[in-house]
Amino acid sequence: MDLIKPDININFVGKMKTAVFISWVLILIGVGSFIYHKGPNWGVEFVGGTEVHVKFAKDIKPDDIRGALNSAGYPAESLQQLGLPQDNEYLVRFSHELVPFEKIQEFRGRLEGIFESVVGKNGANILRIDYIGPKVGRELIQKAIISVVLGWIVILLYLMIRFEFEFALGAVIAIIHDIFITIGAISLLNKEFTLTIVAAILTVIGYSVNDTIVIFDRIRENLKKVTKVGFRQLVNESVNQTLSRTTLTVVTVFLVLVALFLLGGSVIHDFAFTLIVGVVTGTYSSIFIASAFVVYWKYKKGVLT
Amino acid sequence: MKRASRGWMIVILIAIFLSVVFLTPTFLGDRLPGWWGKVFPQKGLRLGLDLKGGIYLVLGVRADRAVEHEIVNMKQTITEELNKDQILPKGFDIRDKTLTVSFFSDSAREKAKRLKGNFENIADINESDQSLSFTLKDQYIKETQVKAIDQVKETIENRINEFGVVEPIVQKIGTDRIVIQVPGAKPSDRERIINIIKRAAVLEFKIVKDAGPNEETLLAKYGAKSPDDLLAQGLKLYPGEATGAGRENERFFIAERDSQVTGQYLSDARLIFDEYGRPAVGFSFNPQGASKFGKLTGDNIGKRLAIVLDGVVKSAPVIQERISSQGRITGNFTIDEAKDLSLVLRSGALQVPVDIEQEQTVGPSLGRDSIRKGELSMVVGAIAVFFFMIIFYRLQGLIADVALAFNMFFIMGFLSAFGVTLTLPGIAGLVLTLGMAVDGNILIFERIKEELRAGKSPIASIDAGYERSLWTVIDTHVTTLLTGVILFWFGTGPIKGFAVTLCIGIVSTLFSNVIVARVITDLIYGERKVEALSI
Repeated sequence: MDLIKPDININFVGKMKTAVFISWVLILIGVGSFIYHKGPNWGVEFVGGTEVHVKFAKDIKPDDIRGALNSAGYPAESLQQLGLPQDNEYLVRFSHELVPFEKIQEFRGRLEGIFESVVGKNGANILRIDYIGPKVGRELIQKAIISVVLGWIVILLYLMIRFEFEFALGAVIAIIHDIFITIGAISLLNKEFTLTIVAAILTVIGYSVNDTIVIFDRIRENLKKVTKVGFRQLVNESVNQTLSRTTLTVVTVFLVLVALFLLGGSVIHDFAFTLIVGVVTGTYSSIFIASAFVVYWKYKKGVLT
Repeated sequence: MKRASRGWMIVILIAIFLSVVFLTPTFLGDRLPGWWGKVFPQKGLRLGLDLKGGIYLVLGVRADRAVEHEIVNMKQTITEELNKDQILPKGFDIRDKTLTVSFFSDSAREKAKRLKGNFENIADINESDQSLSFTLKDQYIKETQVKAIDQVKETIENRINEFGVVEPIVQKIGTDRIVIQVPGAKPSDRERIINIIKRAAVLEFKIVKDAGPNEETLLAKYGAKSPDDLLAQGLKLYPGEATGAGRENERFFIAERDSQVTGQYLSDARLIFDEYGRPAVGFSFNPQGASKFGKLTGDNIGKRLAIVLDGVVKSAPVIQERISSQGRITGNFTIDEAKDLSLVLRSGALQVPVDIEQEQTVGPSLGRDSIRKGELSMVVGAIAVFFFMIIFYRLQGLIADVALAFNMFFIMGFLSAFGVTLTLPGIAGLVLTLGMAVDGNILIFERIKEELRAGKSPIASIDAGYERSLWTVIDTHVTTLLTGVILFWFGTGPIKGFAVTLCIGIVSTLFSNVIVARVITDLIYGERKVEALSI
């Protein structure tokens, strides 16, 4: 059974300009949201503090929780809904000054009281408490940035060995593009930027490169054949030849991710969301950004006319 | 069957055998037969705290304190040696990792130079006008720090093991951190566990010189402006624990600075009850400690003995007679507190202090919920992929599914073999591997279809499909593996878990994609003539 007809011939290369325009718009929206939200909504592991994961037995408005905490003298630094709305789970973060490590046990008791005053006896279940010292956070941000940048460099080097320079550069630009859009989406929904999200983004990098390589490999193989078609058309043919695989893979990975997103529970929810955005962008960018860049480069350098 | 396949068949069988061996403890658990442990590994796949509930702690070890101790010790030894030679030092100066001793004359310095021999191994020694400076060697500093963190780790390990929880994990991370995982610990146990871990448990016995209601009057009595001034007189100020009526004059104590008898000479500590039935901690000394303690008490009958725990005087009874082997610490203890204190005294003191940098306490219900949902999403995802492959690639799809099942089996086996703790992000990494594994198969099958359309025979198409996709599959896996390795390097905690599952998953997936699926295909089609492929 074929999902994509073998003789399909979509003019991808011709639509590259439009695609690049759309990408810029998406990136700018992300950057705008980033500026609007004053940077990422860092998770507790990055900024330090005490974070409480609580599940309520019934529907509750975030403002009610906030109000109760404020009037009890425990204003939350951030309050975020976790998972699907019907889960009624929240992440509440408090600063070091408010809840130092020595006071956590006492604080836990207080907090239960505050929550119960809103939802009634036994209506709130504290599932998890995380405490992160101020030193750890800074180190983690550094490590996260180092690992992402190192990831780029290593991929660039590997692809330079396996392909030509412009291919490697194209792949890395596609990765950067995917990261921007993915982070933009997280920022737009004001989701918490946690270590798990960093892991998801790094996975997106792996996936995006994976996808790009498949197309590049085909371009390289086609280049070896004796043909009369121009480079543009050759790239277009390569994208079309691999289109069936691209679509099928995206669909399978998507199936798995949607299962994670809907059924995986509150903790996995945002992880799955990030991956879904990343995988879609990664697929799109391997066609429209990575391949487009190689075409652009070849013509710009006058290698091809 | 093709010759190459036969070789790979053996490799596959070995991989299956190893996976079975590694996975058996995971599934059998306690029902593992006794002889198993003698022949095969016993550890199974462990579930992380986020799946099981419990307490996760990251401790920062102040290893620099151990270096400070070393310098202070060096100063002490030098002072004693100079005393022997009747040289009076002008002064000492400690800066960073350097101790500078200044003298009143060059001749005094020359005489003191014989000390060099004592410290050559641990410090670089420089002379300048009328002074000698000892700078601790970097190598020695490093060794001291490693020793300190190892000591802390070992002590904490002993303490937690004695506390009686199941399968605690204590690991050294980097050069100055220790990670402690206590699975299954309830939030109500949190305070006790943290106290047991953090407590320095330095027990000292000193003869009391004086006691008073507040710092100022006590210090003034000895002509000291600050507690530090007392140190020069060989004395030290300690806060007392005693509260309540009639004890107002015992809020602070002055005792000897140095202690001859410390907790390191204890042979045992246990919960006892005093004559009023209140919980207390009874302790016994080892022979060396007993003789020291006997001398201390024998020489000071009628004076008061301060029992100092972590810098606080717990009690200060009057010495009635020479005591050697036994003693007790009383105070306002609950039974649990007395039990925990005996436990930490038994396992010894932490030589350097620790800070808690990170903590995660996961209630048991989140764990149960996560496991259930994690399993559900994995099963649903797997079933979806399974049918998807059969619908699109028929027999070949079924082969891919079988290879995928083997893949998951290998991954689980090797995760157990490496003693990986499976966390939620780890499960996510597994699910992702599942998706990537399918991608490899799709890539190969699409290629085979293309070759078929190009007019090649079925067998030639399979050969070409696998051969031509090989490098693409390798390239994609290598790049993902590289990101995985970087994650492993820089990641901590959950990210590391994710990286490990991803890396093991990628290697196993590559093997399953290009080898297992291929061998199965060869087994089915063999050398016989094939009219058409089911793809």
